[in-house]
Amino acid sequence: MSDMAIWTEKLVKTYPDVRAVDGLNLNVPRGVVYGFLGRNGAGKSSTIRILLGLARPTEGHGTVLGFPIGREQVSILERTAYVSESKTLYGNLTPRELVRFTRGFYPKWSDQAVRKYSQLLEIPMDRPFSKLSQGNRTKVCLLLALSQGADLLILDEPATGLDPVVLDEFLRILVQDVVSEGKTVFISSHQLSDVEQIADWVGLIDHGRLLLEARLDDIKGQFRWVTAAGTGLPAKPPDALLVASEGNFNKYLVKKNADAFAAELSRQGATIAEVSPLGLREIFLALVRKEEPCTFGNVGEIAAAVSSSL
Amino acid sequence: MLGELRSNLESRSRPKAAASAGVQQGRFFDFLSLDCFLQNSLDSPTVAVYQYSMLLHVNPASGVPTYLQIETQVKHYIAAGALTPGDALPSVRQLAADLRISTNTVARAYQDLERDGILRTIPGGRTYVAENPGSFLKAERVRRLRPYARQIAVEGTQLRLDPREIMQLVQQELDALEEENERYGNLDRKAR
Repeated sequence: MSDMAIWTEKLVKTYPDVRAVDGLNLNVPRGVVYGFLGRNGAGKSSTIRILLGLARPTEGHGTVLGFPIGREQVSILERTAYVSESKTLYGNLTPRELVRFTRGFYPKWSDQAVRKYSQLLEIPMDRPFSKLSQGNRTKVCLLLALSQGADLLILDEPATGLDPVVLDEFLRILVQDVVSEGKTVFISSHQLSDVEQIADWVGLIDHGRLLLEARLDDIKGQFRWVTAAGTGLPAKPPDALLVASEGNFNKYLVKKNADAFAAELSRQGATIAEVSPLGLREIFLALVRKEEPCTFGNVGEIAAAVSSSL
Repeated sequence: MLGELRSNLESRSRPKAAASAGVQQGRFFDFLSLDCFLQNSLDSPTVAVYQYSMLLHVNPASGVPTYLQIETQVKHYIAAGALTPGDALPSVRQLAADLRISTNTVARAYQDLERDGILRTIPGGRTYVAENPGSFLKAERVRRLRPYARQIAVEGTQLRLDPREIMQLVQQELDALEEENERYGNLDRKAR
């Protein structure tokens, strides 16, 4: 599976009091923007720490850019840029000094990129890091990541403290200079709207398990709300989740073939009130609240079918 | 939006392939950032590039797949006469950057449109609006439209609209397109 940018199999990480990652199977294709989404404490950062060799997995294994995690960590780190959730760097150094400190570690470092992005992101290069606002700290971290010439960018909550203008500029840079070059971006976030805009793949993680992984457009093309009225409506239909029930009305989240599902209900005598598309946010809320895993068994098939038809 | 369309259309004063990298119009700067402009002249040194990124927009929060939103809009602007055969579209990379969406998403939309004969890409070069899909035989055009007609018939009947009301709706949409077409036609005449 080394053709994937990130691949993990049955990854587990337990801490004394918690099972942070619980059998995670990730498949991040190369050249995509992958939104790794989950609530606080869902296991996003723990997963990233394992990928980078900052934590050792309790069980399971995986590869990053084709290199096995834990065994060829230097090769991984050389090619991977990482922005941590905490955005802490040496406080008494200025951004300019941090650049000088960092550049030696990366063979493909670009000083031209530093000049370009420090200007575009409006970074005060000569003020000590500890004196910078949260937004400016984030920008410095992003600057260092963008300048490494990395094949994979792992960004943990990259939007922290950024104002809408800078965030928009950053998204433009990501698309124009990173994704267009065939590089992979792995964004971990609970800010669904930022990710929904730029990501073409998403993985939803909750309680250390992947609830859903697919191309975002395929999810949107397939998932539907179906609201039906009638008696004796099914409580656990295949490929659909009963999300809400009130009186004679049932609301389902249908994962595929919504029209066939609605037709079947109506054949059984139900009245279909609505079949409507839904955004990532609604899907996220419905799945996380239900904690119903729907990984490769169903959605994976959709993604594979669509990509093979292209 | 109309203001944007206007400035866009006016700057589209035909010669389609002007010699000098689009520098001939100061109007470019009315609606393009300098950065964007430079990027374009770097992308294609010999062909004037008209910006259609302004016409296209996506709503990521809607449940409609982003690539479908782009496809629908391109088709709409062609039907409404805002885009005409031979017009160059922004490169995949440029449009993706302008819309802040993944290049893969734009590429998918362009691929679909190309497969349907709506766009044409010159290998290693730009993407253009294809010469009239009228180059397809009438029978083929009818074949392509039939599924949509069937869907309108089925959905309309299911919603208990009578046939006359369904036909009326379709007629209204045709009229709206016609109206838009006239508007763009007027703008073009003014530009010349």
